[in-house]
Amino acid sequence: MKSNGKPKPRFTFEDPERVEQIFSQYPDKKSATLPLLHLAQSQEGYISNSVIDSIAELVDCHPAVVMDCVSFYTMFYTKPHGRNIIQICQTLSCSLNGADELVDHVTDKYKIKPGETTADDQFTLMKVECLGSCGTAPVVQMNKEYHESLTKQKFDELLAEFE
Amino acid sequence: MPLLKIDGKEIEIKSGTTVLQAAEANGIEIPYYCYHPALEIVGSCRMCLVQVEGMPKLQVSCNTFVSDVSSDRKVDGKYDMVVHTQNDLVVQERKNILEFLLLNHPLDCSVCDQAGECYLQDYSFKFGNAHSRFDENKRVRPNEFLGSQIVINHNRCIMCSQCVRFTQEISGTSELFVEARGYNSKIAVLEDNPLDNLLAGNVADICPVGALLSTDYIHKNRIWNLKKQPSVCQDCSVGCNVDVFSQTDQILRLTARENLDVNGYFMCDIGRYGFHRYEEIDRVLQPMVRKGDSFVSADWETAIQKTIDLIKKNKSNTAGIVSPFHTNESNFLLGQIFKDVLGSLPPITGEEITYPSGFRISADRSPNTRGMNDICEGIVEDLASKIKTQDIRTLFILDDGVDRKLDDKWKKIIGKMDSVIVLSYAMTDLAKLAHVVLPGHAPLEREGTITNDKGRIQWLRPSLPVKVESKPDWEILMLVRNALDKKTEHFVELGEVMKKMGEKFENYAGITFFKVGNQGYSINGKSS
Repeated sequence: MKSNGKPKPRFTFEDPERVEQIFSQYPDKKSATLPLLHLAQSQEGYISNSVIDSIAELVDCHPAVVMDCVSFYTMFYTKPHGRNIIQICQTLSCSLNGADELVDHVTDKYKIKPGETTADDQFTLMKVECLGSCGTAPVVQMNKEYHESLTKQKFDELLAEFE
Repeated sequence: MPLLKIDGKEIEIKSGTTVLQAAEANGIEIPYYCYHPALEIVGSCRMCLVQVEGMPKLQVSCNTFVSDVSSDRKVDGKYDMVVHTQNDLVVQERKNILEFLLLNHPLDCSVCDQAGECYLQDYSFKFGNAHSRFDENKRVRPNEFLGSQIVINHNRCIMCSQCVRFTQEISGTSELFVEARGYNSKIAVLEDNPLDNLLAGNVADICPVGALLSTDYIHKNRIWNLKKQPSVCQDCSVGCNVDVFSQTDQILRLTARENLDVNGYFMCDIGRYGFHRYEEIDRVLQPMVRKGDSFVSADWETAIQKTIDLIKKNKSNTAGIVSPFHTNESNFLLGQIFKDVLGSLPPITGEEITYPSGFRISADRSPNTRGMNDICEGIVEDLASKIKTQDIRTLFILDDGVDRKLDDKWKKIIGKMDSVIVLSYAMTDLAKLAHVVLPGHAPLEREGTITNDKGRIQWLRPSLPVKVESKPDWEILMLVRNALDKKTEHFVELGEVMKKMGEKFENYAGITFFKVGNQGYSINGKSS
């Protein structure tokens, strides 16, 4: 990307060996785009413009092509978010079993609407589509873990662990 | 070669062709949006679905390839593939696809610039439903600028991604991308990398709907009011084939015209928007004769007589200056009049650009340098010193027009002449130094042939009507020639000049407009 006068912060991977290892798994460089994006997100927390630029450089394509890929997948975040991500399933079974109430509960408790982050950067609330655990609705994904058959009380206990 | 049956018609075609190409080559229409012969196949619009016997579902014909099958698998014992493009199933499926494509389409044809040349409109009339069953609200998004010349109307976009592939494959600049997916997807650019390359205008051309628009033409006119004239771009020596759209005496836009031997399907923005530079110029519409420091208008007879007098006064010290901006015919006639000393002004150059797809913008920004050198014998290399050594006192100049910025050296040389006759369409720096100005035609008004740098002779056709008293350049030169020498033959039309030219120059023998046609004719004897 062209920088408009001012130099942009450059992103570098903390673990160059891991990057090499990812590249070694694929016959062509471009295939490494997704795993590199995951690696970058785990390091930075989100995909910034400088991440896009440096990955584009690594896999030898234009930044727009990387952005195309990033925007396609909902689990890549293009904006900074809180330390913990609360993802509440919105699809049928969860909705019927009170997912909306869980959303309202978080909104009341932390004064954040879906998509927003608390002032202390502790939580980001997100509504997501089916998490594939309909038998144990409602389901909340807290960072990378599922918490099933939640009630308000259990949810409070869960949130307390992360506060 | 595989034998196909499409809608009952037997077609033998090369293995590896797609069903869509096979049908198109045989006059069978299959509608499509995302397919473009110059771009990679994606098969995303689903408009070209056809039924292939033996396949469980309908197939996208743009991505279904024809090949030989073993004899035991041939249909009816001889066909490698049997395709239906008109049966009930296909017809119904097209209706369904169009209904989907129109879900979020605003149907604002009455204010859309694409109306009249819109494939969504055409196919909806031809294959679609008159009514939509969609009751919900349509998705509405504001227009956005993708670059300084291209604006996108997201609501009209059908996500065929031709524009994205264009920037990836043809220009290689890759500014455009598809942001998000499904319902939320849209064509976007990165904030700090707008669509501002020199081929950007093409995305508005290839957009099958009215989503990508050129700001240069937006809301200017309706396409059915315009006259479309196939012609050739005159902004560099490549000579891209173009269509010129005009109304009465105004050009509104240029679009690229397909010619696989020259420009493929595209043109650059230098040529696309180049016509604007002929708009606000000081046109010469009547013959002008110098009187002291100013000009007075004269009739043609007086002007030609004056020209002759000036030339005759210094007969042996007269030079002609031909121009790489003029047609072969004009240069030929001038070359015939001033056989002794013939030259041209320094070439006009720019940056040479070659895109990854092979598309080229030549460094030589004049259209006919090759033709001029072919058709004029003995063009002196260093005209300035020749003028000195031969003591040239009179110049007859074919003016390059608005592109020629006369430097001080040449201003001085021309200023020193006893008499200068300029054939021009505008009061250029050069014309201002003249003693007689003969009003010719501007580049997109001219008729004749030009030869591009690869030796392809192409047909320039007039796109605008003749203005006031101006005459075609070749006709003016013919009048001068006949007045100088009563015995020479009289040409009544351009074809005769071409014939004469062919008699002199082997490469141009037998050239006629018919032979040149819309696709040009290569003097190398093969496609260039």
